[in-house]
Amino acid sequence: MDSFRQIAHWLCGAAILLGCEFLGRKISAAFSLPVPGSVLGMLLLLLGLMVYGGVPRGLARVSEQLLRLLALLFLPAAVGVFYLRDLSAADWLGLLAATVFGTLLSLLLCALLLKQLLKQSPRNGEERGDE
Amino acid sequence: MSELLQSPLFVLPLNVCAFLLGVAIYRRSGTALLHPIVGAGFLVAAVLWSLDISYSDYRNASGLLYALLGPAVVALAVPLKQNLAIIRRAGWPLAVTLAVGALLAPVVAIAIAFLFGAAEPVLLALSGKSITTPIALALAEKIHAAQSLTAGIVVFTGVVGAVFGPPLLERLNIRDHRIIGFALGINAHAVGTARSLEFSALCGAFAALAMGLCGALTALVLPLLVDALN
Repeated sequence: MDSFRQIAHWLCGAAILLGCEFLGRKISAAFSLPVPGSVLGMLLLLLGLMVYGGVPRGLARVSEQLLRLLALLFLPAAVGVFYLRDLSAADWLGLLAATVFGTLLSLLLCALLLKQLLKQSPRNGEERGDE
Repeated sequence: MSELLQSPLFVLPLNVCAFLLGVAIYRRSGTALLHPIVGAGFLVAAVLWSLDISYSDYRNASGLLYALLGPAVVALAVPLKQNLAIIRRAGWPLAVTLAVGALLAPVVAIAIAFLFGAAEPVLLALSGKSITTPIALALAEKIHAAQSLTAGIVVFTGVVGAVFGPPLLERLNIRDHRIIGFALGINAHAVGTARSLEFSALCGAFAALAMGLCGALTALVLPLLVDALN
């Protein structure tokens, strides 16, 4: 009986995800919005959860499972990297420089900015998160 | 025989096995350099190459995984909701950093690639580099960027940020876990979030928050920007 209820919760969670995605796609197509339908679905769900005031158990479980498999879901797209043939040497060099130096530079600037801003708002003392 | 190799019957188990092996390698090695997607990607590519399966056949047979990417994006709303209370406490500094960071990450990367003389498809694919892969792929479809290139860039960006980011910040004496987590979430998405969780739960929560918000914000703004530039 208990496991039956769990399966029902799980199915409800999955239905909520699929429903939100479907709605997001429909809205994106209907108004020919440039925003991906799945992102609209995410915002719809977030809004719904804020109104609801919590996360239903089944939904939390399905989401957690799906997000843990994220790397599997985009594996086919990632494998395509090995099949990129039409890139020049300049493209590869640019890509490498942009991803290595660009990433570290913007990471650094973000951290410095947030540090400065947190220092200015008095009620935010330093938190190390030691548990 | 070749028909079987091109069907989901063979390709889906291949994906799952490669993924599980990738996870095992990652756990064993303990370095973010070997993120599951890196190991799994090499394994799948090796199998496809040795069995002479074309990439388009492989991709078509992996349709089920593509179909699940959409619901996975929607599922990102759940951790976002669970971390919402944190925003209220650190309020506007987070909002400002998010807005600046979401813009800065692609702009810096595109500027560097442009200086090196990279072509337009590369620059377009770089625009989604710091957002989580499922959103980046959905976005790539919208702005007509190459999906494979985008996926590769996103994964590589995440690995670079997660491996070299924390030591860099440490050297500059930035030790606040909220700052490390948030910066990693904006610039290194899911890989950075996984790394942040190794520091502390607080660090991970800030990273998850930044990753979700940064992805949503970029998805809302970037298509408009690309439209305007064309």
